[in-house]
Parts: sequence; structure tokens; C-alpha cells
Amino acid sequence: MTRKIWCFAAALAATTVLAPPLRPALADEAAFYAKAAAPYKGTTIRVLDEITPLQETLSKIVPDFEKETGIKVEWELLNHFEVINKGQADMLSGRGHYDAIMLHGSQLGPMLSAGVILPLDGFVADPKLMDPGLNAADFIAAPYKTTAFYDGKQYGFINWNYNHVYWARADLLNDPTEKAAFKAKYGYDLAPAKTIEQMRDIAQFFTRKKGEMLAGKPLESDFYGIVLEGIKGGSTFSNLWVNFIENYGGDVLDKDGKPTFDTPQVVAALKMWRELWTYAPPGIAEYSLVDVPTVMGNGIAAQSLAWSDFVLGIDKPGVSPYAGKFVYGPVPAKAGNEAHRHADAEPSVTVINAASKQPQATFLFLQWLADKRQQDKLIEMGQGGVPIRESSWALPAIKDSTNPTLFAAMKSSLDVAVARPKMEKYPEMFDAMSGIAQQVGLGKMTPEEGAKEGQATLLKLCGGKSCTL
Amino acid sequence: MASAGDTILDAPARAAPREPAWYPYLLIAPAMLMLVVVSLVPFLYAIWLSFHEAKFGRVKDFVGFDNYLTLLTDGRFWNSIGVAATFVFIAVPIEFMLGLAGALVLNQNVRGRSLLIPLLFMPAMMAPIVVGLLWKIMLAGSWGFFSYNVLERFHILTDTSVFASPDLALYALIFVDIWQWTPFMMLAFFAGLQALPLGPYRAAAVDGANPFQMFLHITLPLMTPLLAVIGLLRFIDAFKVFDTIYILTNGGPGTSTETPSILANKMTFEFWNIGEASALAVLVWIAFFAFCSVFYQVAKKRLNAF
Amino acid sequence: MAEITERSRGRSGLFWTAAVVVYALIVLFPIFWMATMMVKPNDAMFARPTQWLFTPTLDHFAYVIEQGFHWSLLTSFVLCTVSTALVVLIGTPAAYAFARFEMKGKDDLFLFILGSRMAPPVCLVIPFYLIYAKVGLLDSFLGLTLAYMTFNLSFYVWVLRSFCRDLPVELEEAAALEGWSRVQIFRRVVFPLLRNGIVATAVLCFIFAWNEFLFAFMLGGSSVTTLPVSIPKLITSQGVRWGEMAVVGMTALVPVLAVVFVLQRHIVRGLTLGAVKG
Repeated sequence: MTRKIWCFAAALAATTVLAPPLRPALADEAAFYAKAAAPYKGTTIRVLDEITPLQETLSKIVPDFEKETGIKVEWELLNHFEVINKGQADMLSGRGHYDAIMLHGSQLGPMLSAGVILPLDGFVADPKLMDPGLNAADFIAAPYKTTAFYDGKQYGFINWNYNHVYWARADLLNDPTEKAAFKAKYGYDLAPAKTIEQMRDIAQFFTRKKGEMLAGKPLESDFYGIVLEGIKGGSTFSNLWVNFIENYGGDVLDKDGKPTFDTPQVVAALKMWRELWTYAPPGIAEYSLVDVPTVMGNGIAAQSLAWSDFVLGIDKPGVSPYAGKFVYGPVPAKAGNEAHRHADAEPSVTVINAASKQPQATFLFLQWLADKRQQDKLIEMGQGGVPIRESSWALPAIKDSTNPTLFAAMKSSLDVAVARPKMEKYPEMFDAMSGIAQQVGLGKMTPEEGAKEGQATLLKLCGGKSCTL
Repeated sequence: MASAGDTILDAPARAAPREPAWYPYLLIAPAMLMLVVVSLVPFLYAIWLSFHEAKFGRVKDFVGFDNYLTLLTDGRFWNSIGVAATFVFIAVPIEFMLGLAGALVLNQNVRGRSLLIPLLFMPAMMAPIVVGLLWKIMLAGSWGFFSYNVLERFHILTDTSVFASPDLALYALIFVDIWQWTPFMMLAFFAGLQALPLGPYRAAAVDGANPFQMFLHITLPLMTPLLAVIGLLRFIDAFKVFDTIYILTNGGPGTSTETPSILANKMTFEFWNIGEASALAVLVWIAFFAFCSVFYQVAKKRLNAF
Repeated sequence: MAEITERSRGRSGLFWTAAVVVYALIVLFPIFWMATMMVKPNDAMFARPTQWLFTPTLDHFAYVIEQGFHWSLLTSFVLCTVSTALVVLIGTPAAYAFARFEMKGKDDLFLFILGSRMAPPVCLVIPFYLIYAKVGLLDSFLGLTLAYMTFNLSFYVWVLRSFCRDLPVELEEAAALEGWSRVQIFRRVVFPLLRNGIVATAVLCFIFAWNEFLFAFMLGGSSVTTLPVSIPKLITSQGVRWGEMAVVGMTALVPVLAVVFVLQRHIVRGLTLGAVKG
């Protein structure tokens, strides 16, 4: 199923690039919102979103909506886990305090099966509410199509295209001594890894003990070839699933949603996963998605796979002494399987709470957020960001960025980024499976045992039925 | 010596019963009423939820004892009880002993106590969530201050980090709990020591008792009520500890530090299986209530602690 | 404290003082380390090797103020004061009654009070949330004040009752013979004797409320944000804002430290009323 969607999405993306539709002048946009919002003037809507540098920038743009429409927006930002806890509690209890809530792609399964998200189709079909200039074809297609739609209905636009990139130390990869030594040992040139195997070689090559030389200087403490997320929970399992298992040609679920965790491809991916853990810092099993960038920023590891929006916060002067010494690339593919590459992503969408008392005004706001004017401003003000629109790649903040490899890596990830299939039991699955990912990574379980146990766990959780909605 | 203590150890004297019988009930009524509203009602609601399928917080069918059966046959639940039991039975006695020892030391002629006491009490004044972050700063793998400057430098622990190791993580959490709560015990016990009457000690000194005998035969019996109350409350709180574990390991690696509170948090906020989480609350409550009732009766009769 | 020093059998306090100071230095080191992080630039925060010397920065304070954390501080202060005052108001008579009077089923009632503290709060927070959502108490001062009763009222009654036990009943009887009413006796005899105990226990309740996270997070909201709840906002996707976290963590410590410092005489004397008997 994923693959089919991906082909469709690619086709859609291609048409978008080839034939950019005409856009009305910007003044028309503002006029549309002023007119459409007239019946809702003076109302207040509450929106819950996650606090990251992207949203902090966006919070400076949100007041413009109030000026244009007269609809007041209470814009609340909470930490990642809090948004999930509080947002879901609000929706599931039917309290309706928040009119709109940001959901990560993976949260959509449980929330859709609980029936607490309002479909937008009625509003989309209403010319009084739907902005003719929105230009949905400009949204980066793969994440948009796989996240915002389910079973023929639309549940949102797209808000945040969180995605994984490959992250490495340019100063080490470009060091002449290291380059020569690497070439002598592995027979090819040291460069940012294009394949998982190269990533493994580089990890192995740079894992060194205190006192050994690194780039011509003796190490004051141990140095590691790679750092990955390894904590139980978080996005550890999604990293293993997409960046490893899918790139190895396997999958966790087949197209019918039945578990396929005991295939040879999964076992091979788990073997690689285990091997990489041996080149990682000893604390890997406690590293969360927040710790991985911290470790990279401390300069104790040579490479990583990390969320690109986190990178934006670390690779800045004054935050890390290694800022500016990094290089980025697409998530490495499996050698020989480059044509079917995958990159972990968590496209996220702000949805309307079924208990909202102001769905129309909320709809206008969500649409306004996704509008090109706001997105352009967001990218420019944030000096970059994670685009949701194809046209954003051409903006000066990205095109002329001082960190060009990061945005190129991001773009390549987003080209193949799809949301996870919508699973009712995703939290239980991720909890159990990240435990297995940890056990295999730590070497407490062989890859074969992990595959067997994972398969059994999934079968039990889904009750022998399909794991997807 | 014994006679001196006896007046204290006697059951507390009661005022002559000249008030109407309802008078004490009137005094406890506001507190009781408040607890019925804020504590009993939510708890009864939780009991009601525990008999229902309440996936995603939406109450569906009545399922009888299904949630309880699921829980009681789940190895993960028993694992969490084991983890919490290990945690409590190591942490609380150590906190208790260290607290008592510290209180006895403080009770010597220590100078600058008015400055030292607030400082020593600081760990217990901090929000548990800050304590969690603080120990992450100290013990996190590779970048933690202590991990790097001590464990790594002196090759004490290089192949793993304390919170990443299934064998060490729980003991690290116990250590953090001891760090946080020993000062609390110490201060409470010190206050108790400061308040002891001097008479029995004078009598004992005349009898030629040594300091150890005085401790055993005067201090300890006189302190029993306080020790029992503080110990029991700490025991209950330690079993429920949540914030620090949530921040430091969230139950991992694997399920090696997953206490019932952490498991319940997952059932509630990740799986949204409110029925089962409520069943867990009820089971934990029953176990505690049984334990506390027995403890209360025994402590009351044997030690006159209540 | 002169009456107590005579008990320490002439041994020099210097040795013990030194022992306590050494102990304090070891135990308090992590807090000291966190305190330095308040003014530490981000790139020196976890540098390897550890940087002991650095150019201090006030950036973290600026961010904390910009984000309005001082409002959380105020909210916390008002909320904890009100809820602690309420605990004292309704808990004191109850503790006194449990210590003084015979009641039918007294043990059961007393255990019921402790029972309110036994269930893991994590499990109760959703029932609370669902009830509060129905009656409209979410995100309100009243709602949180009530929720804090679940853990503080029981603690207060249990601990204070052990002080009340030690009140000399003779004084009350004497006052009763003088023809004083129950209320007069309570106000003029019991309360002054119990004051230290009340202060000591109330301070502990204040600390528990001050540091509580789970209820404050789920039942509070944008209009009632306590200090602990404002901390996770610093755990952002670009890493934990450690400097800011240190600022908030240390700031949160200051009022409590001040309270304990000012009231320590009461706290220390409070627990079993030694001042009365000694």
C-alpha cells in the first residue's frame, strides 16, 4: 500500500513542478480571508501545537490572522509529550477546549479510530470557506497525501514535515590523514555515506579509544563512529522501521496490515542495527531524540541519523562548538537497493477537534497557516525551516542558506517521506517493538530472536487481524 | 530509667468526656467531607471505570473483572510490582537509617545549624522533575558530569552508562531517591530529637547508662511514633514515585525500571486504556490499604505508635 | 536551644560540624553544578573536557523572563499558599480530634484519611480530568486547590496528629475548670502550643504542593501554569534548554529555601513540642 501511494505521490509531485498553477495576487488572498471570516468575527479559537524553533517563529506570524479576519487565536505551545497527552485528553474526553490540535502522523490512527477528528470535506466543498488560491498541488506531495487523508476523507492540510537526515562531521570526513587511512583500509574514498554499508564502515573506522589519534590529535576521551536514538519509546522504532528495515526491502506490516517482522530482510536489518550499536556511545540505550543532537553537538560522535528540525537548533554558532563543521546527506540507502530508498519522517497535521464549537473559523485558520504567504514568511523569518510547500525550496532563505547540504538532505528525505500506515494500536506496538529494538541493539537478544519475538508480539497485539485501520 | 519513659509511653491521656458525642465528629467533618469530594469520588469513579472497557477514555461495555484478569495474568504488571518492591525495600530503609544517623549527628553540638539545616534540606525542596533533570546532567551517558569525569575517566564503567544498563538503571534510580529524600527524613527526625524531654536522660545519666543504652532505651521508644508515621508515609510515596523515573529512564531499558506508576502512565497516556489503568490503581490501593491496616494495628498495639 | 546543648555530653562540636559540612559539600555538589549552569554559555554546557571556567552569560535569564516564567512563579506562590492555608484550616481540627477524643470507628476513619494518599496519582489523574471536564473545573485555581487536598490533607492530618498527642492534657483540663469554652481553649491553650507543629507540617505541605507536577499539568492549563509545569516547555526538539532549566529550577528553590530559613526555629521545635516539655 505504501509503495502505491508513493508512486501516486511522485507523479503528483512531478505534475506540480512541471505545471505551476496560476496564483491570484496576494492582496486577493487577504481579501478572501476578510470576507470569508466576516460571520465569525470576534470569535476566539484555541490551538495547541508543539514547541520547536519552527513554532516559535510561527507564533510571531499568527497575530496577522487576527488582523486580517478579526478571529482571535489563542496559540498554546507545549512540549512534544505534553501536546500528545493533553491534546488527546482534550479530544477523547469531548471537552473541546482546543479547537485545533497538532497530531503527529502516528497519532492519527488511534484518534481516527476513536472518531474524534472532524473531517474537512464539507468545508473544502464550500466556496465560502475554501480559499481558491490555496494551491494544494504545491504541498510536498508524499507526506501531504499520506498524512492528511484517510479512507477518502480529508482531515487536515499539512503543517510540519518532520524528517530524518544523515548528519556527519565534515571536519573529520575531510581530514587528509583520515582520508588516506580510510582509503587504505576500505578501498574507497572517505565521504558522507551514501549507503548503509558505507555508514557502517565510517562508524567502524572512527570508533576510537582515548589516547588514539583523531584528525591528527590525541583523543582525551573515547570517540564513537555513530550515535542513534536508542531509548525505549520516542522514535527509536520508527528509525529502525523506515531507515533500516524498509531500506533493506523488508517491512513491519504487509500491504494488508499483517505483521511481517520475521522475514530475512528484517533479520538482516536487525543485524546491521546491532552492529551499529557497537560503534555508538555507551549511553545509546538512554538516548532520546533530544539527546542525539546534544551528543552530536558535543562532538563525541562522527555521524548520526537525526530529525532535521533538531539539527537546526544545534548547528548554530554559540550552541555547539562544532557548529559549521557538519555536513548532511540523504538517509543512506541499502547498497543495491538505492532505487527504493526510504527516509524516516513524521509528517504532522493540525486537525479540528470533533468537539470544537468553532469549526468554520478553525478551518479558516488552518487553511491560512498552510497558505503560501504564511509559509514563505515562516521560512524567511526562521532563516530556513522544514518546508511543506515545493515552492519553498526556491526561497532565498533556503536557496542561499549557509548550510546548503542540510536543505538538500531535507529535500531528498521529503521526496520519499510518507506517514506511517494508520494503526489503532500504534502506541502499544511502538512501546513493545522499541523494547525489542533495544534488546537487539544491546546484544541481549540475537537479530533472529528479535525478529521472532517481534513477529509474535505484533500478532498478539493485532489479534491475528490487520494492524492497520 | 524505664519509669521516666513510662509517663510518655502511656496511651495519651484523654480530656474528660464532657463534650457531646458529636463534638469530635464536627471537628473532623470538614476534612472528611473534603476528602470524600476530592478523593473518594474520583476513586469510586476509577473503580467504576475499572469494570468497563474504556479504550481511548471512552466508556464502552461493562466487562466485569476482565481488566483485572488481564492485569493479573500480565507478566509486565508483576514485573512492575517487583521493580517497585525492590525500589522501596532498598531505598526506604537506607533513607530511614541515614536520616536517623544524620539526625543524631546534627543533634550533637554542631555549629551553624541555622545555616546548615536549610542547605542540607535542599534536595527535598526541589521539584522531583528538576531532580530528574539534575541527575541526568550528572549521570547521562558520555555527556553527564559524573559519567564523564569519574566513571569514564577512571574506567569504572566504560561499556555502558548507568541509565542505559538494564542491570544498573534501577540502582541508579534508587540512589537518586536516597539523595532526594534522606534530607527529609533527617530533618524530621532531628526535629523529633530536639523535642525530646530531658528528664529521662538526666535520670539515665544518674543510673550510669552509656550513650548507646540511652539511645536504645530512651531515644528510640520516645521517637517511635514519629519514626512510624514518617516511615509509613515515605514508604507509600516511594512506591508511587513517578516524576524522576519518568525523566530519567521512563521505565527502560526494557522494563527494568518500570514501576506500576510508569506502567499506569503508559496505559493511560500512550495506550489510552483507562479501564486497565484504573484496575491497576484499585489493585495497588487494595494492597496498600491491607498493608497499612496491618501496620497500623501492629504499630498501635506493640509500639504505641499511633 | 540552650536547654538542649547541655545534653551533648561536653564533646566538642567541631568534629561533628566538620563531618556535617563535608557531607553537605558532597551532597550539594550536583545542585552547585546546576547553579553554575544558570550563567553558562550553551557551547560550554557539556563540553568535553569539562569547562570549569567560562565567561558568564545572562542569556538564560533573558529567555526565561521573555517566556513569562515569572508569572508561573506568581501562580505557584498564590496557589500553594491558598491550598496550604486551606489544609491548615480544615486539617488542624481533624488532627486534634483524632488525638484527643474517643470516636466510634476512629481507626477506620483515620485509615480512610491515609487511604486517600495510597492510589498512584497517575491512575487518578484521568478520572479527575473527566470529572473536572464535566463540571468545568479544568484550568482553574479552585480545581487545582481541591486536587492538592488529595495528597496534602492526609499528610497534614497524620503528621499533625502525632504532635497533638503530646500536648499536655492537664493544661486543657485546667482551662476547662476555669469555665473556658472549647473554642476558647483551642484558641488560647491548644493553638499556641501547637503553633510550631502547624508551621512545620504546613511548610512540608507547601513544599509538596510547590513541586507537584502531574495534577498541575493535566488539570491546569494556560490560565493556571505552575512552575514545575513550565519546565517541560524547556525540553524542546532542539535539545533541553539546560541553562534556562537551571534558572527555573534554582529560582523555584529560592522561595522554599527562604521559608525554611525564616521558619526553621518553628520547624525544628515543631515536631514534638519539646519547647513545652523541655
